[in-house]
Amino acid sequence: MIPSDHFVRFYNEVFKFLDRQGDGALEKYYLEISRHQEIHCLELFKTKGLQGMHDYWEHIRIEENCDLSLDLQPDSLTLTMNKCPSLTKAMDNDAGLCLKYCDHCPGWIVPLLKKAGYDCRYDIIDRQIPRCQIKITAISIMPILKICHSDTPSVGEKQESLIC
Amino acid sequence: MRYCETGELHLDFHGATNTTINYIAKNFSEEALHEIFFAVGQKVYKSIHKKLQHGDASELIEHWQYFFTREKGKFQIEETPEAIILEVSECPAVRQLLKLGLAPSPLFCTQTIMVNKALCENTPFESQTEITGCGQCRQTIKRRGVK
Repeated sequence: MIPSDHFVRFYNEVFKFLDRQGDGALEKYYLEISRHQEIHCLELFKTKGLQGMHDYWEHIRIEENCDLSLDLQPDSLTLTMNKCPSLTKAMDNDAGLCLKYCDHCPGWIVPLLKKAGYDCRYDIIDRQIPRCQIKITAISIMPILKICHSDTPSVGEKQESLIC
Repeated sequence: MRYCETGELHLDFHGATNTTINYIAKNFSEEALHEIFFAVGQKVYKSIHKKLQHGDASELIEHWQYFFTREKGKFQIEETPEAIILEVSECPAVRQLLKLGLAPSPLFCTQTIMVNKALCENTPFESQTEITGCGQCRQTIKRRGVK
């Protein structure tokens, strides 16, 4: 048995192997993990929305010993990872870090959130510093706001924006 | 011991290991799995492997004792001058898969078999892992040449 405490170091070796295979092998695997994570999250995220996500990551914060702040607002959830235990362990590792280690998180989270009807802005910050930030918002049912200009406005002219 | 985690446990990682084993075997091969587990055995657990190379199994015994206790497995370790035997009567990893409603991969125990093999490669020890039941096994690390 590889202890659950050492899963991330095994995961890190899986990433190295898949990265060597090329042809998007790593990204395809993230999608498989995303499908696996649906067991734990999808129904919760769909039915309870941002509150459900807050509850899920609060549970993860405790079980995975994360230094994580959760900021739940009526229209968003922001997760600020102050010290990611996963990357910390992958770095505290005689096998060395796969430099794409951090990519697995958005790799599974973003597709799953999309299925639940949510968007996510993911800031990895630095792949060798165990900090990151995720901001989750509901996918707008309004058309995407896009600012269109026929010409560059001149100084003093009020800039007009249109909904395209 | 090189790695000695404390604090809460996230046992659902065993589910992710199960998914990963199935995925690698289906999309690549069993040999690919062996390659990954060999890297775990010899690179991640470099410290245990190095000690085994010098005929010292103490860190492996400590590792088994610590993590099987931490995950509340049912097990026993027997040490003799010729061998170390880990008898697992309830594997915490398999127990967690069943709790999650996941069918253990037919290759789930490959992680144990291959990591043990990797740990013992180029050492005075050899490994034998017998699966004796669902979530049960006997892992023997014995000195080469001993019957």
